[in-house]
Amino acid sequence: MYRYDAIDRSVIQDRSAEFRDQVERRLSGALTEEHFKPLRLMNGLYLQLHAYMLRVAIPYGALSSDQLRGLARIGRIYDKGYGHFTTRQNLQFNWIRLEQTPDILDALAEVDLHAIQTSGNCIRNTTSDPYAGATAEEVDDPRVWCEAIRQWSTLHPEFSYLPRKFKIAVTAAPQDRTAAKVHDIGLVLRRDRDGQLGFEVMVGGGMGRTPYLGTTIREHLPVQSLLSYLSAILRVYNRHGRRDNIFKARVKILVAALGAGEFARQVEAEWTTMDRVAVDLPDVELARIRGAFSYVRFVDASPVSSSLEAARRADPTLGRFVRNNVKPHKIAGHAIVNISLKTPGEVPGDCSSDQMDAIANLADQYGYGEIRVTHEQNLVLPHVKLDDLAAVHAGLKAAGLACPNVGLASDIIACPGLDYCSLANTRAIPVAQSIAQRFSMPDVAESVGELKIKISGCINACGHHHVGHIGILGVDKKGEEFFQLTLGGSGAEDASLGDVLGPAVAYDQVTPAVDALVQAYLRERRGAERFLDTYRRVGLTPFKAAVYAEAH
Amino acid sequence: MSLAAVTASDLRDGEVVFWAEGRWVKRFADAELFNAVEPGQAALDLARAQPTIVVEPYLINLDLEGGVPVPTSYRERVRALGPTIHPEMGKQAEGGLVVQALRAHAGGARSSGRLGLIRLKR
Repeated sequence: MYRYDAIDRSVIQDRSAEFRDQVERRLSGALTEEHFKPLRLMNGLYLQLHAYMLRVAIPYGALSSDQLRGLARIGRIYDKGYGHFTTRQNLQFNWIRLEQTPDILDALAEVDLHAIQTSGNCIRNTTSDPYAGATAEEVDDPRVWCEAIRQWSTLHPEFSYLPRKFKIAVTAAPQDRTAAKVHDIGLVLRRDRDGQLGFEVMVGGGMGRTPYLGTTIREHLPVQSLLSYLSAILRVYNRHGRRDNIFKARVKILVAALGAGEFARQVEAEWTTMDRVAVDLPDVELARIRGAFSYVRFVDASPVSSSLEAARRADPTLGRFVRNNVKPHKIAGHAIVNISLKTPGEVPGDCSSDQMDAIANLADQYGYGEIRVTHEQNLVLPHVKLDDLAAVHAGLKAAGLACPNVGLASDIIACPGLDYCSLANTRAIPVAQSIAQRFSMPDVAESVGELKIKISGCINACGHHHVGHIGILGVDKKGEEFFQLTLGGSGAEDASLGDVLGPAVAYDQVTPAVDALVQAYLRERRGAERFLDTYRRVGLTPFKAAVYAEAH
Repeated sequence: MSLAAVTASDLRDGEVVFWAEGRWVKRFADAELFNAVEPGQAALDLARAQPTIVVEPYLINLDLEGGVPVPTSYRERVRALGPTIHPEMGKQAEGGLVVQALRAHAGGARSSGRLGLIRLKR
């Protein structure tokens, strides 16, 4: 993976020193809260219900084992021994003290991590495919382009005070594991008929209170023009994006207001007149970045592992783990291992410091020292030999991390909700825990098959409810926690926004309602249809009848 | 004015704190209670004059739960307790009568407990 050079290191060290000074001035009273708040937010520091929360950037979801150990250490020393992986592939610490934050930023810098671009109205940390560099599906390694975007966008003077935050996703595989269509910009790498690499550029996707799927404004942007084209988009947004109303400030609102055609025309006009050479990445720098991602020297391994097959026969839990959590790798004899942070009963996305250390050790021993974070709040060991799978499974089991439920009903995305977040209307985590408990029997979950349940505790949609096969949105109804259900959303390559099922249900009715939806699906399902496929074929009616018949 | 208290976040550690006769306390059970507008507002003014000690003090409405004052708003009760998913974390860990009352009270999911909720953005 990409390793920081001296310039990268000096940037984050300087930033850390700068923040230390700002914190001292805030504590002394030289800075008011009004002045300090935007400064702390530029360093990922929020004030939540019980304490400060520090959001650490994990660029495009890629971590080294040393970095994960660094996070474990911070969790142990400065938090309560755990961290929370988010739906943007970042990590949040929930129990942070302001006065210790400069020390934490120093500790992060020691392992080439920081909290820049995790808050504020800037270009946020780029999302990418957690299987990058490991899946045979991709046409190129998307991390190369994410790293280029990182270097270009970090502390970019022109784009640090945008009308609102700005999120970019890059994927290079037909199967979208980044939710590209609900990002401000979604970039899909493809080759054209001549074999030339280019980006499909989608703009104006997003969730929140006004959800939109992105619209394609360029079918095939030559890759070498990426940074200038992104600059052109951001200039149009910076010029015309609304700054008078926070709810209408995202680029999706501008694209909808202008129309995608007009927005695209303005972008093209900007792009053709700008000094592109000054912005686009020189080939030599691109080659340097690309080189940093090709260091893994895969060992030769047999495409079929007799030791794995024997272990699977001996241990059915390994068989189930391989079936659900292990995906094909581009190199023969290797596999991609998903680590579920959704063991029923646990908090979705939470990982203890001890577990982080255990994963880092497994990555060192069996996985070339690499770990990825998924936007579904799980972790990935991207390169594991088939011969080592049984050992990795055993190691994960010992750490309480071998739950074989990836992509199944208990693998639920949930925002922190009212248990931590000062914006939330309702809790999300205990709702997820209750549903996960209902589908905790592995046979039950497997018989239901792929089912993406996503829960947000407020309309800001950090839990991605709009794109859940079953989406759950917490609302405050006459002072009580109620939950609106949506069906048929998808954040994958077949992206769609969910449809509202009907009136919101009470807190204790959510799990029975989800159960009723699943039962309706099992009745209606044809062949190998997923929940989403069945819903798209039959529509709301049978699901509505199931839930509201049960409720009354 | 119904029963009220003044709350804020401690500047240094972000912890939830409550006003109690000129100082800040960590337990809601120790918070000073106001049953008239003037003393509540006067306490809030004093609290606001301590920007190097606390962040954003505000008044919260209280109800009675079995005779024990508790915040009307669920959000405020979660602040006074800690995360509902981690009973061992936050102020709820030490238990007691007031913690029981905070847990027993219902309603007020987020928005109904905070006095002066609709404020102009500055």
